[in-house]
Parts: sequence; structure tokens; C-alpha cells
Amino acid sequence: MTAAAWLAIIAVMMFGPIGPVLARADWPRRAPRAAVVLWQALGISGALAAIGFGLSITVAPMHSGMLAGTARLTRQALAGRPLQNLGISGALGLTLATDVCIVLLVGLATTGLCTTYARSRHRRLLDLVSRPIDQAPDVLLLDDPRVAAYCLPGLRPRIVVSAGTLELLGDEQLGAVLAHERGHARGRHGIVMLPFASMDTLLRWMPYVRHARTEVAALLEMAADDFAAKESHPRHLAGALVEMASSGTAPSCALAATTTAVSTRVVRLLSPRRTSQATATWALVASAATVLVPFSALLTAVTTTR
Amino acid sequence: MVRLGELERRVMDIVWARFGCELTGRDVAGQLPGYAYTTVLTVLTRLENKGLVRHQRDGPVHHYSSTASRESYIASLMHDALDVSSDRGAALVRFAETVSPAEADVLRRALDHPGPAQPSRRR
Repeated sequence: MTAAAWLAIIAVMMFGPIGPVLARADWPRRAPRAAVVLWQALGISGALAAIGFGLSITVAPMHSGMLAGTARLTRQALAGRPLQNLGISGALGLTLATDVCIVLLVGLATTGLCTTYARSRHRRLLDLVSRPIDQAPDVLLLDDPRVAAYCLPGLRPRIVVSAGTLELLGDEQLGAVLAHERGHARGRHGIVMLPFASMDTLLRWMPYVRHARTEVAALLEMAADDFAAKESHPRHLAGALVEMASSGTAPSCALAATTTAVSTRVVRLLSPRRTSQATATWALVASAATVLVPFSALLTAVTTTR
Repeated sequence: MVRLGELERRVMDIVWARFGCELTGRDVAGQLPGYAYTTVLTVLTRLENKGLVRHQRDGPVHHYSSTASRESYIASLMHDALDVSSDRGAALVRFAETVSPAEADVLRRALDHPGPAQPSRRR
């Protein structure tokens, strides 16, 4: 089988059936951070394979191998004749390769800019109307009776709680919630989410993209839960989760999926075997292998000269 | 010297404390001992450019007032924090979504009747 066929199969697998299978699995809950790395690896691998597939189809009519073919293609493109001697299949291959790059980069840039704008607008107002709380000077208080706690990502992330939250929670529960938010800030979870959010607008028809955003968001919550569980007893955080989720001030339109996420997190926090180092190690090995697969196929394409 | 952002906050505190009333630059500067009148005017102009303050001219005197109450700004931030669907809400990392009362009862029971006690790791 040719390298092009392999690359096509890899791309279809990564963006097709693997995502839904991973989303149904139980083990990611025992190693949430490693599972996020695996989701990232699937995306990188699929994108590399799709671009590699497009390029190998493009250079196939030149009969000079991947490396020399790509070099010749670059020279042609720089001379202003990118499609010369490519034929129909070559032109389609080049279109695929460039389209994948453009869609991914433009999506990332627009989502990045919109998110940055929304965050800086929120931050400007927040810094004017909030006050540090007595218990922790790095935490900002919003004087509002409704219940909310969140992390505003950025260069200097802000951790925010509402007056309603201070009213609702005991000291130990509040400490656990703040530790959870510090986990988000420390792990730069805002940046981790960005690529998944950016694909969601344009590529939602892909099974991988459809699952990745919700799964990674849930896994990052669990990763922050694990961070908090190191600083306070997991039971305090579980208690705070139940109190805040049932406080009734959050909007009623919340999705069913997020409802399960809260239950899952509470059950997980109460479980004695919450995390597993072995599972994390296996997930990281699988991530490395996932990224290496399209590389090895590309390498075959480069070394084979026809 | 206090950072400009901090000074903006103190000026807004003064303007918001008298929401609905108009203040002159002198009124504001009078409540900020240690700051030059011109510095306060600069800050007021900056806040006006940001849309937080507006001013009216009455002959040589400028009267400043806030465009919206402090509470309405807090409400808009809470809206970001609680809104699950919008992209503005997506810019934040929220703590928890909602559960139904029935589900909350099940979870509370799970919390009240723990299995074997589990000590926190690495404590």
C-alpha cells in the first residue's frame, strides 16, 4: 500500500471513529490530564495525516518522491505556477493540504482574538468593581447574591467568587473551591481549551471535533478537582459542588450533559481510587504513538522514490 | 505612586457613590487628597473614553457622572459567569453547572453516607 493510502486511513481514523470511542471510555476519569494530552495528540495526528495525504497526492504525478516533489512544488509556486503539471488529482491534493492548514489557522486566530477580547473586556470591568476577599488576597469578590465562582484566564489569571458563594459555603468548602480555581489558573486551562473551541465552529461535522470540546472541558474540571484534592479533603470539594450546583441561581437551561458532569465529579471525588498513575503512563505512551504514526507514514513517503 | 488602574478604581468609587448626581472635577479631587487636580481630570477623561463616565459642560465647569450604576456592571459580569450558552460566557472557566433537586438529594445522600473513610492524599 502506498504512503498516501496510509495517511488517508490515519486521518479518517483520527477524525472519525476514535473520538467517539475515547469519549465513551471510563479510564480517562482516572487520568484526566493524560487523557487531555491524548485528545490533543489525536487532533495533531489527524491534521498531519490529512496535510501529508494532500501533499503526497499532489506530488505523485511528478514521479520524483515526496521530498524532491515538494521542493519542485515550492519552486513552481514561488514562480507563480503552482498547478503546473499537477493534473486533476494533484490540484485536488494541493487544495486539500492548503485548505486544512487555512481552516485550522484561521479558526484558531479568530477564536483566539474573540476570546482575548471578551476576556479583556471582562477583566477591565472586574478590576473596577471587585474587591479582594479577606480570606485570600488573590481572590476577587463580586458583590452579587447569586452563586458563581470562576477563573478568568489570562497572563495574570483572576479568581472570582460572588457574595452569594461566600454566604452559601463553609470555610473548608470555600477553600476547596478556591483551590480548584487555582488549579485552572495554574494549569492554563484557558489556553488548553482554545484549539478545541476553535475547531468547534467550523468542523463540528467531524465526530472527533464534536466530542473533543465537551470531553476536554470535563477532563479539565477533573484535573482541577485533583489539584484541589491535594490541598484540602476531596469531600469538602464534593460538598461544595453539590451545594453550588443545586443552589438554584444558575440558569435552568443548563444542558443534560453538564448535569451528568457534576454527578460524575462528585462520585469521582468520593471514590478511593480517584487517580491512577499507571493509566496516566499508558495514556501518555498512547499519545506519543498517536503522533508518531503519521510521521512514520510521511517518512516512508519521503524515503520511497518512484 | 499608585498605579493608574488603582486610581481609576478610586475615582469610579467616588463617582458611583454619588450615582445619579453630577460631580465636578474639584469635587472628585477633593476626596482624593494627595492627587493633583490635573491628574484627576486626566483619569476622568480616560474613564470617559472607556465609556464609564460622561460629562456635561456648564460654562467653564465640567460636570461628571457615571453612565451606569456599579450594580449594573456587576450584573453584566455575573451574566458572563452564569451564561452557559454564549461565547462571552465561554471565555471563563466556571466552577459548576446546575443539577436537578432530585439529583442533588441523591448526591447529598452519597456525601452523608460515605463508604470507607478516605484520607486526603499527600497531606
